[in-house]
Amino acid sequence: MQSVFDRRRINGPEDSSAPIFADEHQKSPTPDLYKARHNRSVSDIRPIFLQPGLISQANGSAYIETERTKIACSVYGPRQSKNTAYNEKGRLNVEVKFTPFSCERRRAPLRDAEDRSIAVAIQQALLSSVRLEHFPKSTIDIFLVVIEADGIEGCVASGSIAASMALADAGIDMYGLVTSCTAAVIGEEIWIDPTQEECDMANGTLILSCMPALGIVTNVWQSGRMAISQVLACLDTCDGRCTDIHSVVAQALLNSARSKV
Amino acid sequence: MTSASISKAEKSYIQAGLLTSPPRRADGRYLHDFRAIYLETGVAPLSNGSARLSIGRNPLDGSGGTEVLAAVKLEVENIEEQTLDGGRIACNVSCSPSAYPHLSSGALDDLQHDLTTVLHQTLSHPSLHPKNLGIIPRKKSWLLNLDLLVTAEAGNIYDALFLAARAALWDTKVPRTRSVEYKTPKTFLSASGDMDVDQDTRSGFDTRHVAHATDFELPDYWDEGEILEGRERWPVAVTLNLLHTVHFLDATLQEEASCASRLLVVYSHESPTAYTIQSMRMLGSDELSIPHLKKLIKEAEGFTRSMATSLTTKLEDEDFRRNQKAREKFGRRK
Repeated sequence: MQSVFDRRRINGPEDSSAPIFADEHQKSPTPDLYKARHNRSVSDIRPIFLQPGLISQANGSAYIETERTKIACSVYGPRQSKNTAYNEKGRLNVEVKFTPFSCERRRAPLRDAEDRSIAVAIQQALLSSVRLEHFPKSTIDIFLVVIEADGIEGCVASGSIAASMALADAGIDMYGLVTSCTAAVIGEEIWIDPTQEECDMANGTLILSCMPALGIVTNVWQSGRMAISQVLACLDTCDGRCTDIHSVVAQALLNSARSKV
Repeated sequence: MTSASISKAEKSYIQAGLLTSPPRRADGRYLHDFRAIYLETGVAPLSNGSARLSIGRNPLDGSGGTEVLAAVKLEVENIEEQTLDGGRIACNVSCSPSAYPHLSSGALDDLQHDLTTVLHQTLSHPSLHPKNLGIIPRKKSWLLNLDLLVTAEAGNIYDALFLAARAALWDTKVPRTRSVEYKTPKTFLSASGDMDVDQDTRSGFDTRHVAHATDFELPDYWDEGEILEGRERWPVAVTLNLLHTVHFLDATLQEEASCASRLLVVYSHESPTAYTIQSMRMLGSDELSIPHLKKLIKEAEGFTRSMATSLTTKLEDEDFRRNQKAREKFGRRK
């Protein structure tokens, strides 16, 4: 297996793992985590911090932080797509990048396979919300940098919220704001907004992205073994949470707009 | 997602045909009809299990249609982390450029990656994991490589991939292994020169009583092995193409280009009463409300159930054809 050496950077060791300390952070055995979910109930989401207008040189930007997930998003566009053939609808191009220190195991600075699957999911979530027919021959570039990740599902959900807010901050015509929520089936219960450990324990996880203002779903992503009844229950609960998140996003945008005046 | 380039007039014509009552499709099928599916197992003799599936092939000359070749190859792996104990599954989809002549190599790579991600995330989930992929606990296990090759594409690629994967996994046989322990022979302690037959002379390669296995061997090199466990659990996918209020199955390339969005639902039908959703993806940009989504999920269950039962019947038929019928045929030659 050839390791690719990046001459522009100081390459770390090929293999690296976090040091294990004797007394600190003993991983609690599964039954413990099963019963107790400290600080919040199973149907509560973690508190969200949202800040638009973080990156001044981009057309629009947003920063989202929910406990251990931190994502910065910037939107450039609509700008001319130089290389592609004529298309009467604009293109939405989403790129996700994980910083090397975002996960427990160091990630290579080069583009990874996992980045693309998250980018595809976020693009799917945003596709129906942007009025692309207003931007023929143009591309809207959305760049997301994951500073700290707490599970892939959490990244997709927080990333789509940040991207939608950044698009609104950039003043791009949209049908509505997109919000996302994740749910995990652990045993017989449905836990909303699971962390990485909870997702690993779960039988199945579901991410729902929707536009609460219009009541339509833009993306559903489900993985793992779930019964139909559990899927339907997850959809309902996530839908309710998405409406709550929507008011948070709208309020943050309103505050930012007021402060600019 | 790739689609044939289609003019607005043609798109509108296809959509109008689907939205009239009764709905009309170009080849006269009903909304929930599939094209003819051809399946053959055991096409790659060097693999541990294989299948070749095509949807919508021209019956006269065998051309056209969506064609997928699936093969399973088992490799021995040394276990480094605790999580790999019990074997693992790795799926990979490759798209032949002949199937997608209009795509550049970069776009083809992206498509391959997307198809691989969906298949790998669904099939390598712990809930579907077969139990007989371990060799020596905590030391060695089987790595199951499922490779799918798309040689032709005429629409409905996800259904074809999952059907071919299920067929290849059904056909897979895991070689039987036997654990082996190495022991040093006891040295002779008697001083006399007699050739006493020491009761404890055991060969260092005694394999009868293995207390601590260090290696394994194949007791019969030519034995294909035992069937991969959990063959009823492998899931079946259905792609519901959505157009406003109607949904239809098995779209051709033109029909895929005419409908704005698709819902892919993957069900596992372990028994007639136990069925679970293994995966769900939404592709495209159409509007979908939650009640409509729920209705589609429930309908998808019925579709996948009939697909799974007919696939199982066909696979059992194939098993019979390759084993018993072949034996009868050769047995008759006297």
